Amino acid sequence: MVTHLRPANLAELSEAVREGPQRLLIAGAGTATGWGGTPTEVDAVVDTTGLDGVIDYQPADMTVAVRAGMPMADLQKVLAEHGQRVAFDAARIPLGATVGGLVATADGGPARHAYGTLRDMVIGITVVLADGTVARSGGRVIKNVAGYDLAKLFHGSLGTLGVIAEVVLRVYPLPKATRTVAVERPPDEGFELAGQIVARSLEPAALEWYDGRLLARFEGTAEGVARRVAALQAAAGAGWSEVDDAVWDEVAGVALGAPGDTVFRCGTLPSRMPWLAGRIAELAGAAATVTSSVGVGVHTVRLRSGDPAVHAATLTTVRDEVAGTGGSTTAIRRAEDVPAWGPPPPAVALMRAVKQQLDPVGRLGPGRFAPWF
Amino acid sequence: MDPAEFVAVLGAENVLTDPTQLRTYECDGLTGYRVVPALVALPRTTDEVAATVRVCARRGIPFVARGAGTGLSGGALPVADGIVISLQRLRRIIEVDPVNRRAVVEPGVTNRDISRAAAPYGLYYAPDPSSQQVCTIGGNVAENSGGAHCLKYGFTVHHVLAAEVVLADGTVTTLGGDSPEHAGYDLLGAFIGSEGTLGVVTKVVVRLLPKPTTVSTMVADFGSVAAAGDTVTDIIGAGIVPAAIEMMDNLAIRAAEAAVHAGYTVDAAAALIVELDGPPDEVDSQFDQVLEICRRHGSTKLRIAADPAEREAIWRGRKAAFAAAGRISPNYFVQDGVVPRVRLAEVLGRIAELAAGAGIRVANVFHAGDGNLHPLVLYDEAKGEHDRAEKLSTAIAELCVELGGSLSGEHGIGADKACSMPVMFSEDDLATMKRLRAAFDPAGLCNPGKIFPTPRLCGERPGPFRPHPLEAAGLIERW
Ligand SMILES: Cc1cc2nc3c(=O)[nH]c(=O)nc-3n(C[C@H](O)[C@H](O)[C@H](O)COP(=O)(O)OP(=O)(O)OC[C@H]3O[C@@H](n4cnc5c(N)ncnc54)[C@H](O)[C@@H]3O)c2cc1C
Repeated sequence: MVTHLRPANLAELSEAVREGPQRLLIAGAGTATGWGGTPTEVDAVVDTTGLDGVIDYQPADMTVAVRAGMPMADLQKVLAEHGQRVAFDAARIPLGATVGGLVATADGGPARHAYGTLRDMVIGITVVLADGTVARSGGRVIKNVAGYDLAKLFHGSLGTLGVIAEVVLRVYPLPKATRTVAVERPPDEGFELAGQIVARSLEPAALEWYDGRLLARFEGTAEGVARRVAALQAAAGAGWSEVDDAVWDEVAGVALGAPGDTVFRCGTLPSRMPWLAGRIAELAGAAATVTSSVGVGVHTVRLRSGDPAVHAATLTTVRDEVAGTGGSTTAIRRAEDVPAWGPPPPAVALMRAVKQQLDPVGRLGPGRFAPWF
Repeated sequence: MDPAEFVAVLGAENVLTDPTQLRTYECDGLTGYRVVPALVALPRTTDEVAATVRVCARRGIPFVARGAGTGLSGGALPVADGIVISLQRLRRIIEVDPVNRRAVVEPGVTNRDISRAAAPYGLYYAPDPSSQQVCTIGGNVAENSGGAHCLKYGFTVHHVLAAEVVLADGTVTTLGGDSPEHAGYDLLGAFIGSEGTLGVVTKVVVRLLPKPTTVSTMVADFGSVAAAGDTVTDIIGAGIVPAAIEMMDNLAIRAAEAAVHAGYTVDAAAALIVELDGPPDEVDSQFDQVLEICRRHGSTKLRIAADPAEREAIWRGRKAAFAAAGRISPNYFVQDGVVPRVRLAEVLGRIAELAAGAGIRVANVFHAGDGNLHPLVLYDEAKGEHDRAEKLSTAIAELCVELGGSLSGEHGIGADKACSMPVMFSEDDLATMKRLRAAFDPAGLCNPGKIFPTPRLCGERPGPFRPHPLEAAGLIERW
C-alpha cells in the first residue's frame, strides 16, 4: 500500500519525511511523472501541493518567496497584479506545474534564450533532506555568495536529493509589449540567421527554430519592439511575417507531447542544431517535430505516436551520438521498455557521491537515475 | 615537508621552497591574514595539477589553489604545512568560438584578456570585477565574482558553461557541458562560488555576449546619501533594469577624484553612476525615466557622458575607488554585505551611526543596483585602531544579515567571515553544506579552514569574530 502524505507546512513536511515509511516519491502537480527513469516501488508519496502560496513578496525589490507546491501559473497571476513576472515559460506551467517541480526537473521554455532557467533566478531555497533535516541556502537578495548554493544542486535533481519546500525568486518587469515574427528557413540557414540576429544586439527575448521556421520574440516598450522588428526585417532578409502569440503554444506542445509519444530534450553546442534536426528527420521522418532554442543549443524533440521501434531507435541513437560529442539528453516521455538514460556524463561519480551524502540509504525517488545511480 | 615527490612530478624549477619566494604567497588581498605555505607548486598543465593533487592526497597534505591573489576574503590564504597550487602558468586561451559565442580558457587567464581575445569578433565576457586587469578566471569561478554590470547580466555563474576540475583525490572531471542543458544535478552551479574548497579548476568554458549597440551613462549628484539610496530603490521599483547602478559617498568621491580626475563633483554628498545599454529606443526612453527619477529626488547635478571617452573616465574613477582609499587612509577594510534594495537608505544611515559610535570613518562605494555594499572601513594601524575597525567591519556585515541580506555579495566568506556564518545560517544549513563538501573532498584537504566556522578560531558560540592575538602577530595560523 502506498501512503499518501500531504504536509501543510514546513514542520509537517520535515516530520512526514523523517517519520514516513522507507521509500518516498516526491510529487507536485504530477505534470512531469515521465521525466527520467521510472521510479521503482515506493512506500509513500510526499505530495507538495499542500505547501502552497506566497510567503513574502517585495515588489519594489523584485523578489518573491513562495512555498514550493505553489503552481507557477498562480504565482504569475500574483506578480502580474504588480506588473511583474518570473521570466520563465516552461510548457508545463499552464498544466499547473509547481515551482518546486519546475526546479527539480530543470525545465525551461523559449525564454531561456534571454533569461536562462529557474537555476538562474532562484536566489534562495529551503529543502528537507531524507533524514528530515531542514536546510536553507542563499537568501532574499539577488546577489549573494555566502555558503554553497544548494539550489543549484536541486536543479535537475528529479526528487532524489530532498524535498524542495520553499523557493525565493528574482522577478522581472512584465513587458509592455510583445511581438513575434517568423521566417521560413531550413535548419542550417535558420541557425546562421539566428547568429546574425544575436550579433546585432536586437535582444530578442526568445529565438527559436521551430519546425522549419525561425521565430523571434521581442519584448519591451511598444515603440521599442516595433523598431526592433523593423530593424530585424531591414537587416536580416526578406520573408519575415508577424505571427500570433499562439505559435508559442505550438512550441510548448512539442515539449508536452501526448500519450504514446516520445519526447526528449538535448543540449549541444548551438551549431549542432542543423545536424540534430537532420538526424531526427532521417530517423523518424514526418512523425518528428524539433524545436530548438537555437542561440543556446537546447533542443526539444517530439515523436508522434507511431512505430514504437522507430521511437526507441531514434531516442537511443541520437542520445548516443549527442553524448559522443559532449552533449546531454533527458527523456521526458518514452515507452517503459526504452532505457531512460544513455551514456552517463563525466561527473556521474560525483553525482553518486552527492546522493550518498544527502540520502545515504536511497529513500528518495529510487530508480529515477537508474542505471547511473 | 619533503619536496621530493612534488619535484618528481613538476621538476625542480616548478616547485618553490625558498622562504623569501614563499613569502610572496603568504596572503591575498586581505593582507591582514598571513601564513607562509610549506611549498608552492607551479604546474603548467591539467595533468601536472592532477599529479600534484595526487601527491597531496597520498600524503594527506592540504592544498590551496591560487590565481592572482586579488581575493578580498582570505580565500587563497595558505595553510601552514600545506602547499599552494598556483595556476599562473596555465594561461592559454585555447579557443575563441565566435559561431557558438564561447571561449575555452585555462584558469590563469585574466578576466580582461578573455574580453580582449573576443573583441575582434564583436564579443566580450560580461562579468567585470574592478580587478579584471589582473584577477584570473579561475579565481572568478571560485568566488562567483560579480562586477558593476552584473545587475543586468548576472554573475560568473550565469556565464560559465563548463569547467574541467581536478578533484581532491586527483581525478579530473568535467562539470557542465556544451549547453546550459545537462542531465542530473547542477554540479557546475554548486561548484561556482565554492571558494576553492571543492576542487581546482583547470579549464573554463565561458559564454561570450555581443557588445551592446547603445550605451548611455550618467553621473547624478545628490545632497544626501539617503536621497541617492531612495533614487536607486525607485529606479528598480520602476521596472528598469540598468546595466549598472553604482553609488559613491563623499569620502569615496574625493578619494577617487584625487586618484584619477574623473571629473566628479568633490563636494557632492553622494553620486550615482547609472548606465543603460541595449536596443536604442528602450535605452533612450528608460534613460529619460531615470533622469526624471533623479530630479524628483533632488539631484544637484546630472552629467551625461557625451562620448565613449567620457564614459571611460567615469568608470575609471569608480574602478579605482578601492585603491584610492589608500590616499585618504593608511589602512582600510573592504566590506561586502548585501541588503534588499528597498533598504539601502536605511542601511547607510545605520552604518553611519555605527561608524560614529566607533569613532572610525567609513567610505561607501558600491554596486547599489544589487544592494551590494562595499563600505571601506578606514583606520590607522599606527594609532592602534585595527581592532576597533575590525569590530566595526564585522558589525556592518552582520547588520546586513539583520536587514534581510547577506554577509557577502561577491568577495566570498573565505577566512575572513567564516565566524559570522552562524549569524546567517543555522547549524543544519551549514551541516548540509558540509555534506556537499564531503561528497567532493571527503578528506578535507582542499582549501580547508575557509567558509565554515571552526570552533578553535571562533569560539564555541557564534559571535563577532576576534582573531587570536598570536595569529594577528603572524605566529599561529588558521587551518
Ligand atoms: C581592487 C580590487 C577590486 C576588486 N573588485 C571586485 C569586484 O568588482 N567584484 C568581485 O567580485 N571581486 C572583486 N575583487 C575581488 C577579487 O578580485 C575576485 O574575488 C577575484 O575573482 C579573485 O581572483 P584571483 O585570480 O585573484 O583569485 P585568488 O585571490 O588567487 O583566489 C581567490 C579564491 O579562488 C580560489 N581559486 C583561485 N584559482 C582557483 C582555481 N583555478 N581553482 C579553484 N580555486 C581557485 C582560491 O583558493 C581562493 O579561494 C576585487 C579585488 C581587488 C583587489
